[in-house]
Amino acid sequence: MAGKSLVSEARQTHMAIDLIQHGARLQLLEAETTLSRERLLKLYKEVRGVSPPKGMLPFSTDWFISWQPNIHASLFIDIHRYLTAHAEIRGIEATLKAFKLYLEHCQAHATEPVLSLTRAWSLVRFFDAKLLQTTPCTRCGGHFVVHTLELYDDYVCGLCRVPSRAGKTKKAAEQARALELKQAA
Amino acid sequence: MDNAQLLNEIRETNLTYLLLAQRMIKEDKPAALFRLGINKEAAELIECLTPAQLLKIAAGNMLLCRFRFDNRVLGDMLSGYVKDKIMASSHAAVLMAGQGAEPIAA
Repeated sequence: MAGKSLVSEARQTHMAIDLIQHGARLQLLEAETTLSRERLLKLYKEVRGVSPPKGMLPFSTDWFISWQPNIHASLFIDIHRYLTAHAEIRGIEATLKAFKLYLEHCQAHATEPVLSLTRAWSLVRFFDAKLLQTTPCTRCGGHFVVHTLELYDDYVCGLCRVPSRAGKTKKAAEQARALELKQAA
Repeated sequence: MDNAQLLNEIRETNLTYLLLAQRMIKEDKPAALFRLGINKEAAELIECLTPAQLLKIAAGNMLLCRFRFDNRVLGDMLSGYVKDKIMASSHAAVLMAGQGAEPIAA
C-alpha cells in the first residue's frame, strides 16, 4: 500500500468495527475496507471474541424471492434507494445506514430481523449486477424485489396476496399455543 | 376547545416538530432525511434556522407537518385491516419507504 495514511486507516478501522458489530462477515470487510486480511481477522476476534465463520457467502438470488425474506429485502432496498437518491451517500455507507434503519423498523414492530448485514450487502450487489430489480405491485404500488428479465405486467406482491402457508412456521404455532395456554390458565 | 387554546396547541406542535426535526438533521442527516421524508434542500433549510426563526415560523395558525400516508391503501394499512399486525406494518413501511421525498417547490 503506497502512501499509507494513518488518518484514513483509523477511519477504515472504525468503520470495520462498526461493520463487525452489525454482523458483517470477513468477505464483506475485505471487499469494503482497505485493511489487510490479518488486521481484519484480529479486529474480528477482538470485537466478537470468536473467529469469523469460514466458508463461502450465500450466493443465490432465490432466497430474496421467497415470501418472508422478500418483504424484508424489499423494505431494505426501498430504504437504501431513498438514501442514495436523497441523502447523497454511497457504497457501504449507504448499505450500513439503510441496514440500521431496517433494524430499527424490526425493533419497533417487535419482529425478528430476517436480513443480516452480509445478506443486505449481497442484495445491493445483486442489484448493481442487475440480477435483481424491483417492480411495483399492481395493487398497493409498493416496490418489491424480483428477478430481472421476467414479465411483471400483473405483478401482485406477497403482502397483497399472501400465500396460504406464509408465516405459519413451527415457531409461530408454538407461540400461539403458549398464548392460548396462558389465556386458559 | 376555544380558538386561543387551539392556536396555542398548533404552535406547540409546530415548535416541537421543528425542534425535533432540527435535532435529527444535526445528529444524523441521512437517517433524518429518511425519517422525515423530506429532501436535502428542505433539510438544509431547517438545519440552519435560528431559535428566533423557529419561533416565528411555528407561531402561524397552520400545522407545518402533514400526513405522509396520502393514499388510500396506506391509510387502510396503517389502521390495520390485515389480520396480522406485523405484516400490516411491514407493508406500510415498504410503501412509505418507496415514496419520494417531499421537495421544496422552486
